[in-house]
Amino acid sequence: MATGTDQVVGLGLVAISLIIFTYYTAWVILLPFIDSQHVIHKYFLPRAYAVAIPLAAGLLLLLFVGVFITSVMLKNQKVTKKAQ
Amino acid sequence: MTKLAQWLWGLALLGSTWAALTMGALGLELPSSCREVLWPLPAYLLVSAGCYALGTVGYRVATLHDCEDAARELQSQIQEARADLARRGMRF
Repeated sequence: MATGTDQVVGLGLVAISLIIFTYYTAWVILLPFIDSQHVIHKYFLPRAYAVAIPLAAGLLLLLFVGVFITSVMLKNQKVTKKAQ
Repeated sequence: MTKLAQWLWGLALLGSTWAALTMGALGLELPSSCREVLWPLPAYLLVSAGCYALGTVGYRVATLHDCEDAARELQSQIQEARADLARRGMRF
């Protein structure tokens, strides 16, 4: 079996993905069919956030990827300039 | 048809179906709860795909086996290669 930290990290990722999936499924798929007076609606944000939050997260991810690529490219440029 | 063309075709088909249903262009009177489920559907599918990817990566990280024998063999091969190259004059 994979060693200590690997197992913890791996199972942590699985747990996070399951939590996000179940919460999001309940939010998007199940909530519209539950009576609007039910107490469970207190645990979920207004429906517009169900699209806004993943969209913002996706844009943030793209931003990080772009910044990472830019920094690696700049570092490479500096190395080749020094070598010349 | 290339794979890319197939994917784009499928996406275009599903996308146009979703758009037609969401904007009521087909003249169907869907119940309001169905409409509430329908309009975030693309975001939902993307998030589920992301969760599936994350979960699969995490599971494979947790269950990847160590191969002791292969590791030892690889290390000895590395030593051999270093000795050989050093003999031929390459500096590390």
